[in-house]
Amino acid sequence: MSGLLDGRVAIVTGAGQGVGEGIARALAAAGAAVVIAARRAENGEPAVATIRDRGHEASFVRCDVTVEADVVAAVDHAVAEHGRLDIVVHNAVSPPGPPAPVHDVDPDIITAQIATSTTAAHLFARAAHPHLVSNGGSFILLTSPAGMEGSGNLPIYATVKAAQRGILKSLAREWGADGIRVNAIAPVAWTPALTTATEANPTLQARLEARTPLGRIGDPETDIGPVAVFLASEMARHMTGQTLAVDGGRYLGL
Amino acid sequence: MARRALIVGTGVADRIAAGLEHRFDIDRVPEANAYDLVVWADYPSVSCRPAPIVSLSPEDWANACDRPLRSAIDLARSVHPALATTSGTIVFLVPLMASAGGAGYTALAGLGEGVRILTKSLAKTWGADGITAHAITLDPHAFLDAEDAAGIAADNALHDPPLGRVPDDTADVAPIVDWLASDTAAPLVGSSLVIDGGLWMPG
Repeated sequence: MSGLLDGRVAIVTGAGQGVGEGIARALAAAGAAVVIAARRAENGEPAVATIRDRGHEASFVRCDVTVEADVVAAVDHAVAEHGRLDIVVHNAVSPPGPPAPVHDVDPDIITAQIATSTTAAHLFARAAHPHLVSNGGSFILLTSPAGMEGSGNLPIYATVKAAQRGILKSLAREWGADGIRVNAIAPVAWTPALTTATEANPTLQARLEARTPLGRIGDPETDIGPVAVFLASEMARHMTGQTLAVDGGRYLGL
Repeated sequence: MARRALIVGTGVADRIAAGLEHRFDIDRVPEANAYDLVVWADYPSVSCRPAPIVSLSPEDWANACDRPLRSAIDLARSVHPALATTSGTIVFLVPLMASAGGAGYTALAGLGEGVRILTKSLAKTWGADGITAHAITLDPHAFLDAEDAAGIAADNALHDPPLGRVPDDTADVAPIVDWLASDTAAPLVGSSLVIDGGLWMPG
C-alpha cells in the first residue's frame, strides 16, 4: 500500500498504543505524515520514534480528546508541522472498566466513556472540518462490533460505540456535499486492554478465537491498519457512512 | 390490579402515554418501586432541531447528545430494581435518523443509536432477572416538526410509506409497546422494531 497516501497528513488519536498505534504505522507506511495525538508523552513519543526509524514522517502532540483547546491545538499542530490536514482517525477511548452490568458500572467510567467517544467526535469534527473540506478529506471513527450487537459485559462501551455510528451516518450525509467521507472501523484486535484481560483470564483468548471464523485476534498494524489506509485513500472515494467490521468474521450481523 | 408504567419524556412520550393510559397506571417521573413497563423517549428540543455539526458549540453538543445519553443510561440504572420486581419491560423509542442518518442531526442520531444499542446490552444481562428490553425506531415525524421530518425523508431518498400514512404514535405505536410488555412477547428479547409504515426497510 506504499504511496497510497503520499502527500497526505493524518491525525490519529490514542495512537500511543494498541489499535491507534497500528493504524498510525500503517498510514505512515502508505506515505502519510502522521500526527500521534496521545494523552501521555511516554506513549506518544516512542510511537513517533518507531515510525521515524522506519523512514516515515510523524510527530507527537499531547492531546486530551475531551478538551476543546487540546483538539484545536492538535489540528493546528498538524497544519503547522506538516502543512495540511487530510485525515482524522479518532480512535482514543477511555478504559471501559471491569465487566459489569449497566447498573453496576462506576459512574465515573460512564462520564469518561461518553466524553472520549461522542464529545471528542464532535470536537474533532468541528476543528478539522475547514481543513478536510479544503482537501476532500476522510474522517474515520473507531467503533466496535459491541456498538452493533450490544454487550452484556461492557454495556457503556457498547452504547458509546453505537452512538459514534449514529454520528457517522448523519455526518456522512451532512459532509457529502463538502467532499468529505466519513466511515468507521469496528475491529477486534490486540490492544493493551485485551492483553491484560487475557493474562488475567487464561481461557479468554481461546474462547475469542473459537468464535472467530478466521481463528485469531487481529493485529493492529497488519490487520486493522491497512483498512484505515484503504478508507483514507482514493481507493475508497465512493464510500461514506459505512462501518467495516474488521474482526476475523466474528460479527456477521451487518 | 392495573399494571404500572413509567413513561419518560415529552412529545412522542406524551402520545404513547395517551395510548396506554387505559391499560396502565402511568407515572411520568420515577416514584414507584415496581414497574411493569418503562418507556424512554426523553429527547430535548435542542436535539430535534437541524443544525450542522460545526455550528454546535461544546455546550450545544452536551445538551443535544451527551447529557440526554447519560440520562437514558442513568434511568436504566435506576429502574433496574423496579423492573426486576415485576419481570418487566423497558422500551426505548428511537428516531429513524439513528440508523439511517440525517444531515443536521448528528447529535440526535448519536443519542438515538446509543440508546438503541443500550437496549441490547440491557437485554443480554437483565434477561436473567426476567426483564426484557427493546428499541422501537419511529418515523422522523415522531420527533421533528412536519417540515423538518419531510426534509429528512427527501434527503434520505425515502419513498412514501407503503402503509400510505405515517403511523400514529397513540393509535398505532402504543398498542405495540403494550404488546411488548405482555407475556406473549416474552420470547422477543433485545429486539429493534422499525415502526414507520415501511418508510425505511433496513437490510
